[in-house]
Amino acid sequence: MAKAKMLTGCRAAAEGAKAAEVEVICSYPIRPYTAIMMELAKMVANGELNAEFVHGEGEHAQLSVVLGACAAGARAYTGSSGVGVTYAMELYSPMAGGRYPVQMTIADRTLDPPGDFGSEHTDAMCTRDNGWLLGWACSPQEVYDNTLIAYRVGEDHRVMLPQMVCQDGYFISHIPDKVTLGEMSQVKEFLPPYRPIGPLSLTHPVSHGPQIRPDQGAPMDAMRAQTFLAVPKVIEEATADFNRIFGRNYDPFVEQYKLADAEIAFFIMGAHSNTCRTAVDRLRKQGVKAGMARLRWVRPWPTHQLATALGHVKAIGVVETSTSYGGAMRGGNLIHELRASLYDLDERPLVTSFMGGLGGETIWPADFDNMAKVLTQAVKEKKVRNYVQWLGM
Amino acid sequence: MQAFDYKYQQLEPVKSFKRVPGPEMYVPGHRTCAGCGPALNYRLVAKAAGKDTIFIGPTGCMYVANASYLCTPYAVSWIHAQITNGGAVASGIEAAFKIAMRKGRHAGPFPNIIVMAGDGGTVDIGLQAMSAMMYRNHKVLFICYDNESYANTGVQTSPMTPYGAATTFTPPGKEIPEGKTLFPKNAPQLVIGGHPAVKYVATTTIAHPLDLMNKVRKALSQPGPTFLHMLCPCPKGWLFDEKMTREMARLAVETGMWSMYEWENGTYKYTNVPKKYKPVGEYMKHQGRFAHLKPEHIAKMQAFVDEKIKQVQRPIPVAAAVPGKQ
Repeated sequence: MAKAKMLTGCRAAAEGAKAAEVEVICSYPIRPYTAIMMELAKMVANGELNAEFVHGEGEHAQLSVVLGACAAGARAYTGSSGVGVTYAMELYSPMAGGRYPVQMTIADRTLDPPGDFGSEHTDAMCTRDNGWLLGWACSPQEVYDNTLIAYRVGEDHRVMLPQMVCQDGYFISHIPDKVTLGEMSQVKEFLPPYRPIGPLSLTHPVSHGPQIRPDQGAPMDAMRAQTFLAVPKVIEEATADFNRIFGRNYDPFVEQYKLADAEIAFFIMGAHSNTCRTAVDRLRKQGVKAGMARLRWVRPWPTHQLATALGHVKAIGVVETSTSYGGAMRGGNLIHELRASLYDLDERPLVTSFMGGLGGETIWPADFDNMAKVLTQAVKEKKVRNYVQWLGM
Repeated sequence: MQAFDYKYQQLEPVKSFKRVPGPEMYVPGHRTCAGCGPALNYRLVAKAAGKDTIFIGPTGCMYVANASYLCTPYAVSWIHAQITNGGAVASGIEAAFKIAMRKGRHAGPFPNIIVMAGDGGTVDIGLQAMSAMMYRNHKVLFICYDNESYANTGVQTSPMTPYGAATTFTPPGKEIPEGKTLFPKNAPQLVIGGHPAVKYVATTTIAHPLDLMNKVRKALSQPGPTFLHMLCPCPKGWLFDEKMTREMARLAVETGMWSMYEWENGTYKYTNVPKKYKPVGEYMKHQGRFAHLKPEHIAKMQAFVDEKIKQVQRPIPVAAAVPGKQ
């Protein structure tokens, strides 16, 4: 086992891409993800990585370049942050519909206005209904690991879908933490070379992406939906293999921290889960039976796993780091899908949500204490008073 | 700038119609309008490029009316691109073949990578992607099949639509009698003026098939990005008799509405320059899109063309080289 190094999330992502031997990279600068491309540019310039490094003229071009590269059979890699993610919006659907398993790495950034470098998950969450695999890491180590796991899942012939590997800007992308990089032999055992299906070829001519009639559309949509039903099993296999080969201990979908006997639980994803774990420990010392469920994949959404993991909890507080203005719960995005996941249980937990970490704001341990008070009160009153509470207002 | 050091194709000029390559690479299966200029153009380009070719088709007529699921007319590999990003998708494909050749997955030859974009996909919404591809020195031939409008969406104006044309976004009316009031962009000059990596640019029309095919072959034999601007009259958009498609392109050249030239490493070579230009009215009178124009509008068009053809350098019929200085 290699020794752990202190790496930022950006460096960890670049190391993951290098380990995956990505072949076509397309860059465009935007903070904070751009440090990933700076690392990769050095690796290519130094001859550590045999890849084509293409300077895209914008995020829309980044996605377009890697689409073409993947269609022609290359393992392709790109990334972005904030409004860069949304500038490329046109390409998310063709990428997934064309079944091009490229990887896009995201270091989250708040969308404009006003200009704000801080992390907020709304950028990548905007893309969630376009047919990509979408997941969040909570440490530089997990960024490195998810880079490899996502390629393995996305390029599996049962899947063939693009992947978005997300990390919070700054909290993870720019704060060094211990990372153990894999040995080449481990990476080779875990991640086979990309085997494209029907790539653009001179010997076997193919047509990619022709026009369809309306009646041909629904069957294709159904095939994509069917594929997503098969993805969880592939994620489970890949995660189990990854844990075995690299000596890690990931739950494929939901990290469950002190959940088994929890009465109240935080439902969270990304960087703030690190503070949340500490807060749970503190609350436990005070006699509050708190726990945490951390989501690793938003797409596919682990409906049944969440029902199993959280069904016994009395009240759940969803920590929302993205916005859904005018949505059913008047706050963020995750609460909708969590509530829906729990709906068929005979006894449902109470679920409310907290808007926190917006604009890159820190969620402090004291915030979790306050959330715990709201949840404890809800347990006592057997109802939630609000769909959503804004932290620190 | 890094040299392009991959084995790529050298396509010899086609000397006569008898020697035009036999195999068709653009075959039945499309459903374009009768008399479609861009479809005729596609057939000639594909024939000239041959089998070791990959086409990128940004959205436009040649996507919407060509590429039907399970029935596409391409005998070579083809991929749809958004109308926005033909140049970028082509860049990615080119990069993928470079790495595939470096790693020994693809023995060669390096494919002819051709973007077949309409005028909107070239100089309007597609301009940024095309320009960046050329700046980055990808070995890609970018072809603008120019039918002077967004035709498949119902003939809306594009930056290539001529002054005075009626389109569904520039209908002539009491306040705006000419219809379109703006003059078009100059597509090849946009490329020539701002892209040092581009060494070969040419214009042609579907009325000059041998010239067209040889410009395609010459462009594909360059080691870097190239650009061809092809006039492809559109009976639906321009409102002329569909049997006159080629005649429209010929008249465009004879009136000076369109100039035929090659630009190679900074040197222009004009061909098909008429001894005496016909008045633009000879071209416009066949087309319903100009039917509403008054004599003063036609005079305005004539003045525009007169200014334009001042740029045209007449070919020197006989050049006597100075001995020892060649």
